[in-house]
Amino acid sequence: MSESLSLLCESAEKLFRDLANRQAPIAEIWGEIEAAGFPLLLTPECEGGFGGDWEDAFAVLRVAGVHALSAPLAEAIAASQAARIAQWPPRDGLAVLATRASGTLSNGAFTGEVSAPWGRAAAHVIARLDGRVVRLAAANASCSEGANPAGEPRDVLWFDSSPVEEAADHDTLVWGALARTAQIAGALDAALALSISYANERAQFGKPIGKFQAVQQGLAEFAEEAAAVNCAGRAAARALDRGDAAIEIAAAKLRAGQAAAIGARIAHQVHGAIGFTHEHVLHRYTARLTSWRSEYGNERFWGAHLGDWAALQGADGLWPAMVARSDAQSGS
Amino acid sequence: MIWPKAYGGHERHPLERYVVLEELLAAGAPVGMHWIADRQSGPLLLRYGTEAQRQCYLPAMARGEIYACIGMSEPGAGSDLASVRTRGERVADGWRLNGQKVWTTNAHNAHVMIALVRTSEGEKRQDGLTQFLIELDRPGVTVRPIIDLAGGHDFNEVFLDNVVIPDENRLGAEGAGWKQVTAELSLERSGPERYLSSYALLVELVRLAGSDPDPNLKALIGRFTAELWCLRQMSLSTAAKLAAGEDPALEAAMVKDLGNSFEQDMPRVVQGALEHIDLAAPEHLSRVLSVLLLVAPSFSLRGGTREILRGIVARGLGLR
Repeated sequence: MSESLSLLCESAEKLFRDLANRQAPIAEIWGEIEAAGFPLLLTPECEGGFGGDWEDAFAVLRVAGVHALSAPLAEAIAASQAARIAQWPPRDGLAVLATRASGTLSNGAFTGEVSAPWGRAAAHVIARLDGRVVRLAAANASCSEGANPAGEPRDVLWFDSSPVEEAADHDTLVWGALARTAQIAGALDAALALSISYANERAQFGKPIGKFQAVQQGLAEFAEEAAAVNCAGRAAARALDRGDAAIEIAAAKLRAGQAAAIGARIAHQVHGAIGFTHEHVLHRYTARLTSWRSEYGNERFWGAHLGDWAALQGADGLWPAMVARSDAQSGS
Repeated sequence: MIWPKAYGGHERHPLERYVVLEELLAAGAPVGMHWIADRQSGPLLLRYGTEAQRQCYLPAMARGEIYACIGMSEPGAGSDLASVRTRGERVADGWRLNGQKVWTTNAHNAHVMIALVRTSEGEKRQDGLTQFLIELDRPGVTVRPIIDLAGGHDFNEVFLDNVVIPDENRLGAEGAGWKQVTAELSLERSGPERYLSSYALLVELVRLAGSDPDPNLKALIGRFTAELWCLRQMSLSTAAKLAAGEDPALEAAMVKDLGNSFEQDMPRVVQGALEHIDLAAPEHLSRVLSVLLLVAPSFSLRGGTREILRGIVARGLGLR
């Protein structure tokens, strides 16, 4: 890890830990995150941003996952990438990347619904629709509030002939998928650490339960899953920094979804009944892991995407195509 | 590829060797004969061997004239490797070895075995173990085949009956065997052979899928592709650490366990997912699937069982 990246992670670590322990309205929490500059992580320095790359964003969003940060940082970073590719001028306020959109777009106006994480707190939402990428002002929408199983706001914004900013089509979902992969990587590591320390403290049959092989084997499997997501996610982020990374991100999010399910299962099994209480912190991670698995594409979604790509390469072209895509990485 | 030129190598970068290995495996090339010498016997000699031992073996290994095998497992020492009972006693002209090794891959073709032998009773069970180079044509060495459940002959039993070897055949210091063996296992655990065993099946699935795949088959191929890509990233990252001179034993154990689970799951999942698969059919897909279903149990046994690997990971997590 470079020095600037480890400094970045340190300051993220400090702020997110502090925010995780604070019961405050989202406006206050988001205000502090904005003041620290994290939403502008990918924005070039000449435009007042941090000038970071996706490897930096992955590291920071991983830390957000470690602390189960309750704020739309992933959505905002993904949206900033979409706005930059679209060459839209910056706008004040929170912009989030939609997870889904449907409706009709004609003559620069949109009628339909947009699933927007944290839509209620957003000034803008960016969505992909009918082969176009659009930016919509949330003020023009009516918002039906919803929440994922972790209690994170998952709202639907309803637009009726609302004006849009349009740009050429781009696969915007991959940025959301990579951001979620980073959060999953962090939440898995945090839930694993909780599970290990619980297994070392909790005694039954006269010894810590972590001394039992059955428990050890489960935690080892958990650690392998967490390691896989961290490795895959970082590799996908590096691939994105080099150029097109649709395949790498699809693979990383798919693998993260598998690991999220396995990790949450083992974490709860190790914690026993105490992990099932509201008082215990574990559910903040496991409910998020469960939720994030479905957001910005689950395994079936990205599997179909990768299956199409594999079919396109053909039986004898798959291996060469896969290694050609990631060979630049092996040197780094 | 990575050995010094002085011993017939090419001094290439370890990651260049990695790329060649995975290309060979992905293409299904027959690589067994030289695999062990290239992967671990040679590196072991380079690290712990005397100059005479290196000169004796490495150039001939590099030319592909000498094959090696690994003498670790015994009838009473599988996962619990430190309980090896093959004994080495000092005699006037070197060492006299008695005992039996088992599951010795390719011993029937190999010229030399690097065996882990008990040379003294130490305070700990891991003490008192020493590695020896044993030429398999020495008097007292008997190799007997073990046929596997698919009818193949890779495994052997190797009996050592009063085999006398000079002290020059000792590899590394007396009593240093355990340390050498554990370093050797990192080389054995993280390579592309630990997740590519079933790759031929993915190739046949993609062939079956054609250009307009059935949605279920497409999703399945996508899932395997994702897992394969992810394992390759992990394996490459471990290879880079090995290349930098680190001993990533924990990462290597993780890669092997995940890789073995992947290559073992794939045939099982495919068998259940393809509605009209006939395992007796002569088609390539059926043949590949049938063979893999038979041999897949070995994937999580060879080179350290799943339970042993997870035990290593658990130790790394501070649980043991």
